[in-house]
Amino acid sequence: MIRLLKLEYLKNLNYKPFKVFAGLYFIVLIALLFVGLVDFDIFGNKINLKEQGMYNFPGVWNFTTYIVGLLKILLGCIIVFSICQEFSNRMFKQNLIDGLGREEFIFSKLLTILLLTGFSTLIVFILAFVLGKSYSNTQESDLIFKEIYFIFNYFLKLFAFFSFLMFLSVLFRKSIFVFLGFFMFWFVEKILIGIESFGVMRNINELERAKILNTKVFYTDYLPLESMSNLIPNPLIRTNMAQLLGMQFKFEYPWASVMVCLVWSLVFITGSYWILKKKDW
Amino acid sequence: MEKILEVKNLTKKFKQIAVNNISFDVEKGNVYGLLGPNGSGKSTTFGMLLSTINPTSGNWKWFGKEGTDTDTLKKIGAIIEQPNFYPYLSAEKNLEIVATIKGASYQRIDVVLETVNLLTRKKEAFSTYSLGMKQRLAIASALLANPEVLILDEPTNGLDPEGIIQIRDIINAIAKSGTTIIVASHLLDEIEKICSHVIVLKHGTAIYSGSVDAMSNTKGFFELKSDDANALISALNSLKIFSSVKEKEDLVIAQISEDISASDLNKKLFEKGISLSHLMKKKESLETQFLELVKQSNS
Repeated sequence: MIRLLKLEYLKNLNYKPFKVFAGLYFIVLIALLFVGLVDFDIFGNKINLKEQGMYNFPGVWNFTTYIVGLLKILLGCIIVFSICQEFSNRMFKQNLIDGLGREEFIFSKLLTILLLTGFSTLIVFILAFVLGKSYSNTQESDLIFKEIYFIFNYFLKLFAFFSFLMFLSVLFRKSIFVFLGFFMFWFVEKILIGIESFGVMRNINELERAKILNTKVFYTDYLPLESMSNLIPNPLIRTNMAQLLGMQFKFEYPWASVMVCLVWSLVFITGSYWILKKKDW
Repeated sequence: MEKILEVKNLTKKFKQIAVNNISFDVEKGNVYGLLGPNGSGKSTTFGMLLSTINPTSGNWKWFGKEGTDTDTLKKIGAIIEQPNFYPYLSAEKNLEIVATIKGASYQRIDVVLETVNLLTRKKEAFSTYSLGMKQRLAIASALLANPEVLILDEPTNGLDPEGIIQIRDIINAIAKSGTTIIVASHLLDEIEKICSHVIVLKHGTAIYSGSVDAMSNTKGFFELKSDDANALISALNSLKIFSSVKEKEDLVIAQISEDISASDLNKKLFEKGISLSHLMKKKESLETQFLELVKQSNS
């Protein structure tokens, strides 16, 4: 394992996209630390995230993991570029000939994914904790860690997402096709979700709809990207403004999504290995 | 003789057959040439033996062990088609990656870079290298883990004459050290200069496998010239030791079927009253032998 880590370190050390996206990621993260101090101008209303209660424990875990989660594509770019370059520079073939096993190749990329994910999770934890400590109305210790599970969900969300990108990278081997493929996949998922909910909602009156949305299990919830996004709900419903508008925040721990994400990750990892195994290089 | 590699009935079918049922053995310490025109299946054969291509059927043993696993690959140094390295990394870092994969010592890096005369450029990025330097770095990389066998696919492809000579000298030096080498090429004089054994491929079929000397069953030929060509031809025919006697331009070419030395032949012809102005015993070059083989397999 040390050998594979060393290999990834040597490969990525001077790799430009790695430096660029990692740098970008951290600059944006640091900027996020200060975002609570800024007033946003939306529809002529001054909105200050701090006044909306976004930084209150325990909701700050939800808020931070959700917002930072949006930035995962920056780290995703590192995964995609660094895997695709192995194929475009014919280095995967050369690695094989030099004596690296296909499973070792996948495992070394998984190590990179785990490292990036772990590192990002650690940062999110620190970020959320610092934000909460600085701006939260409550500092009661049992409230502080009440929703700490969002940190785990964040880890799983990123891991599943990066596994998906690894699979696409191995499948298409050119970064431009990986991104096109990703957006196609995303688009198709959204369409399927639309079709299913239209099918369910068609014959139901308005009052019932909200209830069904909360209780019914949709098949499309189990699609990869949707199950990943279900791990961390949109925190805007938790804002004071949304509560004033009568929206209710209801969240039960998404065990199903956790399981589904784990299964998808496994599918993507074994799928990547299977492609490497079956194809002639 | 210890067998490094035994290949049995190896076949690969893409859309059509690329390698058709070939078998050959590689013995320790010899230099093998894999000969054949472009598209004859050389690279596909190497690809299968190096585990990058899945074979359709057939099997092989490296060092007596079935198939190709990563431990076997660590004992092999290979260059395939073109030098592959991370373009953004220096020669040194690239070799560190290879050494990490193969489990070789980093101390070997300077040694092999010295062998291929690249030590002074080791800190420079691979992308700044010329083709000749890239090819030399590839050889350095193949030598890194002290391989028992070296596989070279078109090692001088695309190089200028100076580069070709440099690479050939390096290969010669390695061959002298006793390393088994399998080299694929379509450049025949290259193979002729370094190989002891050849495998000739054509359309994926091995049409010859054996030593270079035994490749042609002819024992060579005589080039002769005399003032009276007709008398010379009839005298040669009467000796009944030649498979054919032909006139080519102003020379008479006699293919030997029963071996005879030049001086004996000269004596016999002189006894028959023919004096020669030119006499030379020659072996066919690998090129003519190769073309002969390809022609035979066509008919």
